[in-house]
Parts: sequence; structure tokens; C-alpha cells
Amino acid sequence: MMLTPNNNIIIGIIIALLVVASYNVDANPIEFAEGLPNLAIVVEEMLLVEPKYIPTALWAMLETIQMAFIGTIIGFVIALPLSLLSARNLNSKYVYAPVRALLAAIRTFPSILWAILFVIMVGSGPFAGVLAIIMYTIGFVAKLQYEVIETIDSDPMDAVGSIGVSKWQLIRYVVIPESASHLLSQLLYMFDYNIRQSSILGLVGAGGIGFYIINYITFFEYGKVVVFMLVVLVTVLIIDWFSVKIRDKYIIKSQHGMEVTAK
Amino acid sequence: MKQIQMTQNPSFSLISTKKIIQMSNVWTSYDSKNFALEGINLSIDRGTNYAIIGQSGSGKSTLLKLMNGMMIPSKGTIKIDYTSPDMNNKKFKKMMHTIGYIPQNLGLVKNITVLENTLLGALPRLTKIQSLFKKFPEHEIQEAKRILKLVGLTGKENRKAYLLSGGEKRRVAIARALMQKPTILLADEVVSELDNVTAHDIMNLIADAQKRMNLTAIMVHHDMQLALEYANRVAVITKGQKILEIGVEGETIVDFQTGDMSTEEIMEMYDVNSKQ
Repeated sequence: MMLTPNNNIIIGIIIALLVVASYNVDANPIEFAEGLPNLAIVVEEMLLVEPKYIPTALWAMLETIQMAFIGTIIGFVIALPLSLLSARNLNSKYVYAPVRALLAAIRTFPSILWAILFVIMVGSGPFAGVLAIIMYTIGFVAKLQYEVIETIDSDPMDAVGSIGVSKWQLIRYVVIPESASHLLSQLLYMFDYNIRQSSILGLVGAGGIGFYIINYITFFEYGKVVVFMLVVLVTVLIIDWFSVKIRDKYIIKSQHGMEVTAK
Repeated sequence: MKQIQMTQNPSFSLISTKKIIQMSNVWTSYDSKNFALEGINLSIDRGTNYAIIGQSGSGKSTLLKLMNGMMIPSKGTIKIDYTSPDMNNKKFKKMMHTIGYIPQNLGLVKNITVLENTLLGALPRLTKIQSLFKKFPEHEIQEAKRILKLVGLTGKENRKAYLLSGGEKRRVAIARALMQKPTILLADEVVSELDNVTAHDIMNLIADAQKRMNLTAIMVHHDMQLALEYANRVAVITKGQKILEIGVEGETIVDFQTGDMSTEEIMEMYDVNSKQ
């Protein structure tokens, strides 16, 4: 970017806004520096790793993965018809507008708030977490899906639509195959995201590994906390590795029209 | 006199004189200010190979979209086999099942196979249950394979569409249209951007299918020579108006629009308009 007088004014405005916002949120670098020794204490205690908690952490992680898996699949399946109803290129505004409003309302709550709501409804435990993940997935994935559906190539729609097929056939045979690689990509992304989400839903009593983490933090048992956090980290890395492999095999080549051999 | 080199002699014959497409004083526009087509009159006989040529933006593609009901005229009347091309008209909706349409970019579903793309032409013949479970009857699958053999794609049935060459993609689009068992085939610049040999292969393929199935082919082209080689009639569209309608009889080009222009005058008029 060239440093023209206009650009300098814009940069100046951004810096001024940063200063004002920092003042408003009490952002104080001195306070931060003074707090660093506290971090050192936590890190020191974290280094006293307690490996005997690894089996417990693995079982808790398994529960978290199951929560994320169920929540992602059910959320995705519910999101698909809602996204088809929300797509402007498939429906009149009398259909897509109310469905979009419903999805926007669902997205207004972050997953942690859904978790609190479901803990109140069905009690604490992983089921509340699963319900929270389902709701969050519906709101988020349906939006991603209808944006993909609205950008698919109109030529196959025109060519097959001109045969006089039903709207259902058009969706089944053109819309879904044309957006399939994007939908698969979103499914993988959402599963990855939901694993991380499930890890923190335990903070409000909605099961999973987060339940253990918050309890050990409450009792300052950082040596145990670090075991659970490392299990989360390793799990996320493994799932990320699998996602890359699946993307290489099924998504990239179809999106770019080329053959890619999975490594 | 400009010589038209006839490299092929497809020997089309008019099977019936019954009019399959009639347009009378048709105007249409994409917005309220500019007309894409202005006062078009057309009359196409059943079984004809009809070409529409003109420069980019002249209204050729719009003309095709009016013929399959994807657009409706602002004014004037259109009859396709004596029926108004209106998607709300049940009779025409049924008729659409047998109007093959190949858009300029072919309209293939890129993530599915050649066979699956071809079978899309049979969708109107499926029951709701077959449609839901993607269960095409065996005779439809055999028919699709037969058509793929006809268009030279045997052995590539299971290839994904995005892996095909430009010529192969065109063959799939033709196969999908033929799978409809069409009475009318509308093709929008189906051989543009192809080398001369492949373009002639594709045109011969369509000419052959047209003779076998007695269908009416209406094809949009850029190239006058190609149009005259294959078509019984050629309409020249410039700025939304039909300025010429010609055909080849022996060695001469005949003016079907006014009936009194010589071959030389026709080519001169085409050259002037195509440079505009």
C-alpha cells in the first residue's frame, strides 16, 4: 500500500481508534507485565505432569469426540434441507427470507450459551453438549451451505432445468453433486471445530474433556490440567492430518478439475 | 462472388413441411430499456437443420432461450409445435422433456460421471421413487451406453466430467440431449473454440443423429461457412434483428428472406453487418 496523504489519514484514524478502544477495555501493558510472574508459577506447576491421568484423559477425549461426531452429523443432516430452503437461486423470497431469519436466530447464540440452555433443560452431562453442538452446527453450516449453493454454476441448472424436471430432481441431480465437494469440506471443518468446542463445553457442565479441565483448574491442579490439554492437542493434530488427506483425495481435485494422488 | 466451399454433403431432407417453430414479431429484453431481439419472424419446418449466426451480443442465444421457454417474449407470439412456450403451461412443460438444449458452456455436472450426465436426459421418465434413490431402469442405462457409443465415448462411461477434453465434453452434452429422445435440439455454439477437425466431427455427429432421429436441429454458430455446410437454412442476426435468411441450393446461396438477392449481394450484406 502506498503511503499517500489519504492513506496516512486512514492509518492515523485506525491508530486513534485502537488507543480509544484499548482505554475503554482497560488494556494496560504495565498490568500485563506485572502479571507475567503469575504465568510463570502456573507454567512451573504444569511441568509437574501427572502421567497416571493419561487413561482418564483418553476416555474423556473419546467422549468428546463422540459428542462432536454425533453433533456434527445430526447438525449437518438437519442443516442441508434448511440451506436448500435458504438459497435464493432455488426459492422465492417468501421461502428463503423466514428460513434465513431462523438460521440467524440460531447463530445468535454461541455454542456455550446453547450448552447452558440444554444443561438447564436436560441436566448436566454429554447429552446437553451434543444438543448444543447440533444447534451450533445447524446455524453455522446451513449458512455456509446456502452460500455455496448460490454460487454454483448456473449452466448445469439451466441445461437440466430446461428438460422440465422437478425442483426436487434439480436439487438431487445437479445442486447437490455440484456442491458436494464444498459440502464435504464444510463437514470436515465443522467436525474439527466441534472437537475443540466440545472440549470447552464441559466448562458449563455439558460433558466431555472440558469438564475435567475446568475442575482441575478450579482446584489449581495444573499438573493434571496439562495432561488433558496435551491429549486435546494431539487429538486435534491427528484429526487435522486426516482432514488434509481426505481433502486431497476427494475435494481438491474435483474443485480444480485435476487428478491429485493422495500421498 | 464469394465461394462457399462445401466440404460435406450431409444431404438433409425436409421430412415434413409441418411448422415446428413459429415466431411472429417477437421482441424481448433483459431490462426495460434495451431490446435483445426486435421484431423477429421465424418459421422452421420439422426435421430442418436450422442455423442462427451473428456476432457476440446479437441476440442468438436469447432466441434459443425463447424456444425452450427459459425466457418469455416482451411482445409477439411464439409457438413450439403449436404450443406456447410457457413453463406454466402443462402441455409445454411435458414438451420440454423432448427439447434438447446444449448451452454455450455445455451445462455438464462436473462431479459426476459421463454415464450419469447422459442419464440426466432420462430424468423426466423416472418415477418419484426411482428419482429419490437414483435408480435408473436397466433399459435406460443400456440406452445411455448405446448413445455414448454413438457419440464415440465408449470406455469413458465412468470418467468424471471434469476430467474430459473440450471435444469429449461436447459429446457428453450431445449424448445427454439425445437421451431425451428429442424432437428439437437447440445447441448454442457447440463447436466454438474447437479445432476445425473436431468441430466437423461434432457437426457430423449431430447431422447423423438428426437424420436417424428425424429431429429438428437449431444451432447457433459464429462461423457462416460451417453453418452453410450443414444447415438447410441460415438466419443471420445483427443487433437483435434478423437481417437475412438464406440456404444453399446447389452452388448458389438463396435468399429466403426477400427472395430477390443474389449470392454476391447476400455475402456482401453479411460481410458489412458482421463487421459492424
